[in-house]
Amino acid sequence: MSDDQARYLETGSGADPADREFLDSVRAALRNEVTWSDPPPEVAARIMDDIAAGSRPLARLRPAWLGVAVVLGALLIAVITAVAGVFTSQQEEVVAMEGTEIERSAIGKATIGATGSGWWIRLQVDGLPPAPEGAYYEGWMWNDEGQGVSIGTFHLRDDDEPVMMWSGVDPADYPSIWVTLEDEDGDPAASDRVVMRGRTEG
Amino acid sequence: MNRDVLERFRAGEEAAVKTVYERFRGPVFAISLSILRDHGLAADATQQTFVKAWQAAATFDAERELGPWLYAIARRTAIDFYRKQQRSVTSDTVDQIELPVGMDTVWQVFEVRAALDRLPDEEREVIRLSHFEGLTHSEIADHMGIPLGTVKSRSHRAHQRLIDLLRHLEEG
Repeated sequence: MSDDQARYLETGSGADPADREFLDSVRAALRNEVTWSDPPPEVAARIMDDIAAGSRPLARLRPAWLGVAVVLGALLIAVITAVAGVFTSQQEEVVAMEGTEIERSAIGKATIGATGSGWWIRLQVDGLPPAPEGAYYEGWMWNDEGQGVSIGTFHLRDDDEPVMMWSGVDPADYPSIWVTLEDEDGDPAASDRVVMRGRTEG
Repeated sequence: MNRDVLERFRAGEEAAVKTVYERFRGPVFAISLSILRDHGLAADATQQTFVKAWQAAATFDAERELGPWLYAIARRTAIDFYRKQQRSVTSDTVDQIELPVGMDTVWQVFEVRAALDRLPDEEREVIRLSHFEGLTHSEIADHMGIPLGTVKSRSHRAHQRLIDLLRHLEEG
């Protein structure tokens, strides 16, 4: 079979019809200028200059009060719910999460549960790569008017355990769940790099 | 790519980054160009891809293949460039911007170029002259200054090797 395939790749004739679609796509790639193009020679020097300059992006802190408020808020919710023992399996909703064209292989689910202080969201994903250095993932709840609320950040660099996030807004009012890839640039707004999406029943 | 180079790349060694660049510059540039359709932008995206790869090198698992990991960074980087470019000329939201090429095609371009780069130079040249330049075996023999019989056997061997290197694409 390999000889027939090689002959078809070379001449365009002779292979099993079942193999031709794949072989035709390879022949098309071999005819494509894109396949044979190389970057200009100066790109190598530019890369090494950037690396020598140590151009790892520095983490810029968001306004100090905002970072502290987020951390304290999350701790407060965790303490209250732990002490009150209000993690409940009642009213849990499971939302299917799918990768966008940026991360097509990503797939997962978000489980949402209500507490007396808000909603917890447990995100389990497969196929989403670790966030690169200088970047992180952020979860969002969006309403249909295009308003979004952040529910937490994560990076997936050390393990792929489920990620716990928190929402102070009702998923019934903010039914879309997004995961975006963000740069550590101090900008609190959502980037346009949406990597995963899901939607509650509302 | 051998384990020693991968470990040194993970450690952020400049010499290892150079080696990785030499090995993958073609496939990465091919993805960037297939998405961006502009050599200048593709060069910028290629530069940023390898700098991002260096920045993220410590997260790379040396037990795995480097190609797919680099491919993911290159694809994301090129898509970011494309979206920024499109949003500067339209008022479309990110959800409405369509990429000019399917991701299956982009992956195949990366793999075909990576396979071509693994062929011996003279075999790769025969394939290029045959498919991209459209030359016959006789014309290739004249162009390369070698006998026709050599061209035929070299072409057969090159295509056989290419099929073997790309078999996982068909099976995947």
